[in-house]
Order: sequence, then C-alpha cells, then structure tokens
Amino acid sequence: MTASPFEIEIPRGRVIEVQRDDTRVRRGGGLLRGMAVVWKHWKESFKLNRSYSQIHGTFTIEYPEERPRIPEAYRNMPILLYDDETGHELCTSCFQCERICPPQVIHMTQAKDPATGKPVPAVAEFIIEYDACMSCGFCAEVCPFDAIKMDHEFELSTDDHTQLTVHKEQLLRPISYYAKIAPTMWAEVRESALKKLQGNIRRRPDVIGLAPQLTEKIAARRAELAAQAAQAAAAAPVAPAAAPAPAEGRKLTPEEKAAKLAAIRAAKAAQAGESATPAEAAPATPSPTPAGEAAPPADKAAKLAAIRAANAAKKAAAGEAPATPPAAPDASAAETTPSAAPPSDKAARLAAIRAANAAKKAAAGEAPATPPATPAGGTAADAPADAPPAAPPSDKAARLAAIRAANAAKKQQSGDGS
Amino acid sequence: MYDMLAALINGALGWGWPEWALNLLSYILIVTIVLVVAPLQMLFFTYYERRVIARMQDRVGPNRVGPEGIWQPIADGVKMFTKEDIVPQAADRIVHFLAPCVVVAPTVLMFAVVPWGPGMVPVDLPTGLLFFFAISSISAVGLMMAGWASNNKFSLLGAMRAVAQMVSYEIPAVLSLIAIVMIVGSLSINEIIAYQTGLIISNRDLPGIPDLGLGWFVFTPVGFVAFIAFFIAALAEGERTPFDIPEADSEIVAGYMTEYSGMKFGLFYLAQYVLNFLLCAITAIIFFGGWQGPGVGWLYAQGITPDNPNGNGLFNVLAGVLGVFYFLLKTYIFFFVMVWLRGAFPRLRIDQLMDFGWKFLIPLTLANLFSAALWVAFTRWGPAEGMLITVGWSPVLRWLAAFVVTLAINLGVYLWLTRVYAASQAERRRAELEELSAAA
Repeated sequence: MTASPFEIEIPRGRVIEVQRDDTRVRRGGGLLRGMAVVWKHWKESFKLNRSYSQIHGTFTIEYPEERPRIPEAYRNMPILLYDDETGHELCTSCFQCERICPPQVIHMTQAKDPATGKPVPAVAEFIIEYDACMSCGFCAEVCPFDAIKMDHEFELSTDDHTQLTVHKEQLLRPISYYAKIAPTMWAEVRESALKKLQGNIRRRPDVIGLAPQLTEKIAARRAELAAQAAQAAAAAPVAPAAAPAPAEGRKLTPEEKAAKLAAIRAAKAAQAGESATPAEAAPATPSPTPAGEAAPPADKAAKLAAIRAANAAKKAAAGEAPATPPAAPDASAAETTPSAAPPSDKAARLAAIRAANAAKKAAAGEAPATPPATPAGGTAADAPADAPPAAPPSDKAARLAAIRAANAAKKQQSGDGS
Repeated sequence: MYDMLAALINGALGWGWPEWALNLLSYILIVTIVLVVAPLQMLFFTYYERRVIARMQDRVGPNRVGPEGIWQPIADGVKMFTKEDIVPQAADRIVHFLAPCVVVAPTVLMFAVVPWGPGMVPVDLPTGLLFFFAISSISAVGLMMAGWASNNKFSLLGAMRAVAQMVSYEIPAVLSLIAIVMIVGSLSINEIIAYQTGLIISNRDLPGIPDLGLGWFVFTPVGFVAFIAFFIAALAEGERTPFDIPEADSEIVAGYMTEYSGMKFGLFYLAQYVLNFLLCAITAIIFFGGWQGPGVGWLYAQGITPDNPNGNGLFNVLAGVLGVFYFLLKTYIFFFVMVWLRGAFPRLRIDQLMDFGWKFLIPLTLANLFSAALWVAFTRWGPAEGMLITVGWSPVLRWLAAFVVTLAINLGVYLWLTRVYAASQAERRRAELEELSAAA
C-alpha cells in the first residue's frame, strides 16, 4: 500500500482512491468496534431523548397521542382571516394572491354592491384548491391586508377529492385563531392590518364582506344597535353600520354623484318649467324629486309620494288657491323617506310617470295655480340637497325619472304656449 | 413422546393399545407440534427482529397492533394472505409454483432432529447432524428454481448468488462442525448435547467436574473457533446481513423473490426465518449445550428415563420446561446477535464474500480440525493409538495440555491468517487500481 493518495484519469472521470489513515491489520477489532457502537445505541434506546443534543436515546414522538408544538412559521395551507369583533373579512379581493400563486390554485370573485353594481373592497367567493396547493406561502407573503395566512393544520386527508377544493366558508378563520398559532407573527402586523380593515369596512355596504357564518349573528347585533340609536334619537347613526350615513364633506361615491346630478337636472327642469308656466311645473317637480334624488325609499314610499304629488296636482288644477299645504307635505315626504330602504328603480319610474301624468292633467285644467306652485318648487329645489347623501340610489332609475319629469314639464310648457 | 404415550395410555389408563397405534399417534402429535411451532417461531422472529433493529436505530419499531405491537406479525400475515398472487406471463408456471414449496419443505424437515429439551427430540437420528445439513442444502435447489422460473434477470442473478453463497459457506460450516463431531465421536445431536455437561470443562473430558450443564464447547479453543466460523457461515446460509447478497434489495430488487407476491412470497419469507431460527438453534445446541443449563441435568435424572424407569414423571415436565427455556433463550440471544450484526455492518460485495469464505474461513476451520484432532489425542488416546507422550498423565494435565496446544495452534493460525488475508486484500485492491489505470 502506498502512502500517497492514488489518483488516475479514466474516460469517465477521475478515480481517486481514498487512503484510509489506519492500514493496520485489525483482526476483527474493527468489527467489534462497530458492534459496540450499535450496542450502545440499543442500550440507550430504552431511555427517552428529548434534548436533541444527544445522539443516543429514542427520539420518537408517538404522534397521534403526542403532538409537539408546531413552529410559528410552519406553513401548510392558506386560510382567510376575519375580524372577531365585527365579523369583517380582511380580504379586499385585490387579486394579489391569485396573481402570484405559482400553481394557480387561488380563485376569487370581487363582491359588488347590489344597488349600484359597482365593485366593493370585499370578496364574494374565494376558492383555494388545496389538492394542488404547494404550500409555498407566497399568497400570505404578498397579501397587503394580511388577510391570507398559512395554517398549521395538516391532517387534511380525505377520500373525497372534491373536498380539497375549499370555499370561503371553510377557509375563514377568526383572527384570534391565527393569533394563537402564530402570536409573534400576528403581533408584527396586527396594527396595520386592523387599520386597513377599518378603512375597508367603511366602503362595504350592508352585509358585504362579512364572514358568512357570522352574517345572522351580526345582523341581529346591528338591529339591536340600531334600536338603541333610534332611542337616542341620533340622526345619522340610525342607519346600519354597513351603510353609515356619510358626512357632508366626505368625498362622494359615484352612485351618490349620479344621484346628485339627476337631482340637479330635475331641479333645473323644474325651474325652467316654473319660469315659463309655473302653474304646471309646480306639481310636476316635487314628485320626481322625491322619486329620483331621495331614491332610497321603498316602492311603497315612492308610490305614496307619487300619489300625493298627483293629488296635489289635481287639487291645483281644481283651481283652489291654497295648494301650498298639499305640496308641502309632498316635499316633506320626500325628505323623510330616504335612508329607509334600498330603492327599486321600477317604483321610482312609476312615480315619475304618475307625476308626469298628473302634471299633464293639471295643465289641461285651469292655469292660475301660480301661488301654490312657487313654494312647491322651492321645496323641490331644497330636497336634492338633503336627499342624495342619505343613501346611494340607483342612478339609472333616478336619472330616467328626472328626465321624464323634465320632459313632461316641457311638454306642458309648449302645450300651454300653443 | 412414544414413552410418554405408552406410559399414559397403556400404563395409567390401561387401554392396551398396540405398538403401531401408539407410534402413529405419537408421530402425528409430534408433526402437529412441529408444524405449529415453526410458523409461530417465524412470526415471533419477524416481530422480534423489527423491534430489535428499531432500537438499534434509535427508533421504537412496530408498537401499534396489540400491546407493544405483539400482534404485528398476525396483521402482516393477514395482509400477505389478501395479496394478489401474480405469476409472470413468461414464467415457467409449474416450477414457479413449486419453488416456494421446495424451499419451505426442507426447513420444516430440519425440525425433525432438533431437540427442544431433555428427551424432547422428534427423531433421535444417529446421524442427526448430517441429516440437518444435508436437508438444509436442498433449499438451494428451490432458490435456483425460483430464480430460473421467474424469467427475470434480477431473480436469476439473485438465485445464482444464493446458490454460490450457500455452496461456498456450507464447507466452512461443515468443517467447523466436523471438529465438534471428532471430539464427541458421534453425529447424533443428542450425543453432542449430552457431551456438554459439566462446568466450563466437559465431564467427558475431565470426569469428576460438577455437572451444571455448562460444559459447552464454546469454552474450549477448538469449540470457540468452530463457533465463530460456524456462526459466520450460518449468517451466509441464512442470507442475513452482511451476507444478504442474494436478496440485496438495493441492487437486485429482492433477488430470487422478485417475481413472487402474496402467500408465495410469504412462504419464502417463512422459509428464511424458520431457517434462521434453526441455524440459531443448531448454534446453541452444538456450541452452547442446547437445553443444557444449571439444573436441567439434575431434574432430568429424577424423572422417567431409560436409565431410571421408576422416576417421577413430574421431574420430566420440570426438566422439559427448564430445558426448553434455556434452549429458546440461547436461540433468541443468537438471533439478537444476528440482528445486531445486521444493525452494525453493511452488505459485502460478492467477491469479498467469496474471498472471505474460501481464503479465510476454510483455512481457519481446517486448522481447527487439526486442533480438534490434537484435542482428542491429548484427552483420550493412549499408547494403543500411538500417543506416547501422555502416558501416565493425570486427566487434568491431559486436559490442560490439550487446551494449551489447541489454543496456541488456533491463535497462531488466526493471527497468521488475518495477516495473510489482509495482505491479499491489499494486493487485490492494488491490482484492481492498476488495471483501471491501464485501461485508462
């Protein structure tokens, strides 16, 4: 045996013979040494080894009975978080996770405001295909709202494959759950996450963005709160928290803008009618205003307003002087109805048509309804200022109603002129 | 068994059965016991091995089925029975089917001559040892059948290796046993056990030694070397690590068992573990006195024996229980050592195996044979046989002389052989590398 390392080149590569330092003839001593090592392992294996710095002893953890604490940063499958107190999901459906997901197993639909059809910062449906998820945790890392986190639950085996396509209801976990499994990780992001959540809640109407399993509970709680607020006779907070009465100075949402615009148009039309033939314009204007701008009233309220407007117009047509009293309640009805319930555009349209008809009838009748018309027009002009911010009306319907009312007024004007 | 039945039926009950009926009944009972015990031993061994090897690897091993997993082999057996039996399309169906039977049958036959306790041997053949090893060689035929009939290169490779290994290692195994046979002067396994009475020194070599059943051959230089050589050869015969080359699961899948599934595979498995049990048992019997141990000889002397027909039958039972206990204890300890070796050593290459068998074990056992001859000469021969040196020596002196001479020979041969063997291995390595560099 040579002392120097033996090294040769062969076509497949280099062959290096390792010269073992001990080349003595051991006569089986090496075998006995190996057996001694195994013997020690066998002997010591009857002791438990929990320090992990030792190489001897049994390390085994009897799994179903013993469950060691999983490290915080352990990640298995993604879950969604919701706030324990308000029930609001942290997810805003920003699609960041869906985009980054390498196996593309995240799918979501953004929630839309049923009234306006506009998207709101909440998620309608959220699906993760656990069967193809590779647990990379990118979704949790990328989420700007800390809404998606990696769970520690790993016993997911099932004989039903479809169970591994997990929907929002099964994905949602309260924040307290995540704070329990990963306390320090949650503490790091807690403040910013909750702050962002508060910002998003304000833009979520009604029950959108609520954890589905909590919807009923929260609705009950809100009704309770609403009742308390009503007792306190507070003006604004009567509305549910989901659709808080916006402050006057707040930036308006598109729906509100549209409503305001419609109201302004209606008012202009009314003014135009007033200047030409104030008698006819007067009954026409108040009715579209409540229907259009004060849109939130239920159809019942809208119908009622239309009927009243029609009655007022009839009375005005009847030539009776004191037309002011009926017109005034009309306008007041328009003021009080908002914020009661989401509007239905059918009802609003119906109201507008009825109002137009009433105006026509009034025009066909006698002219001298001027004095009562002025106050009526005045109240109608006031109404849009109060009504629109009350609640987001359905703008199409409102606009349509306003336009029809204006047209009707114009027709009256031209008919009167001829 | 026959004596017991005769005493019971014709003696105590007085039914007066004819001799042939008693013989038939006794053999039926014996065969039943053997056929039940063999698979039970195998079941226990699979569990035992898995638990022990797990402990050696800092694990726990199967501990779920029943208390501490004791029913694990039953669960494995049920699994094995429910598996599909697949025969490869290109296989020789008949030979493929017969091979497991040919492998299992000899291992069960070997039980015929294994004594479990004093007077508890199914058949006391005068050539028991020869029968034992002759029969054990038959299973090599079965292995070759299995490998050939499977029509699979891994199977054939495994079978070739198995046969080569078995044939090679039967020589040192038998040579080491011949040394013992020379000393005992008989091939009867009962005789070999009977020889190992005494205390460290056998009664036969040195009359007058108190009999504690501890005169085992392993305490003599000849017996010790024979034991080491035999145990190594037994590892190779039983295809145990580090000699599990025929199965070498990391190289050739499962060797000759590759194409077997279900209960046919189970039979190979059974044969292997039964063979391991038998090899451990025969090691315990030949070198460690079998059922011999403190108290057994005395108890048996009180019982009903051919020498002492008026003894008490209760002592027979007690001696039997104690003898079986000693025997199984020794057997299980040897199996533990087998598992221990499995835990400690990696698998040999086939050329290393052959080198070791032919160039080391066979010379060693041949030298041991010479030592055994000297042992017999020193302790027993007199002027009639031409042994003139020991004339007039006391038995103690004779025994001491035999001990010293055989120890010197065996130790010297061992030291010399290890040196030669290591040198030959180094030379071989060097030649291989030279060949490699020449090829480059």
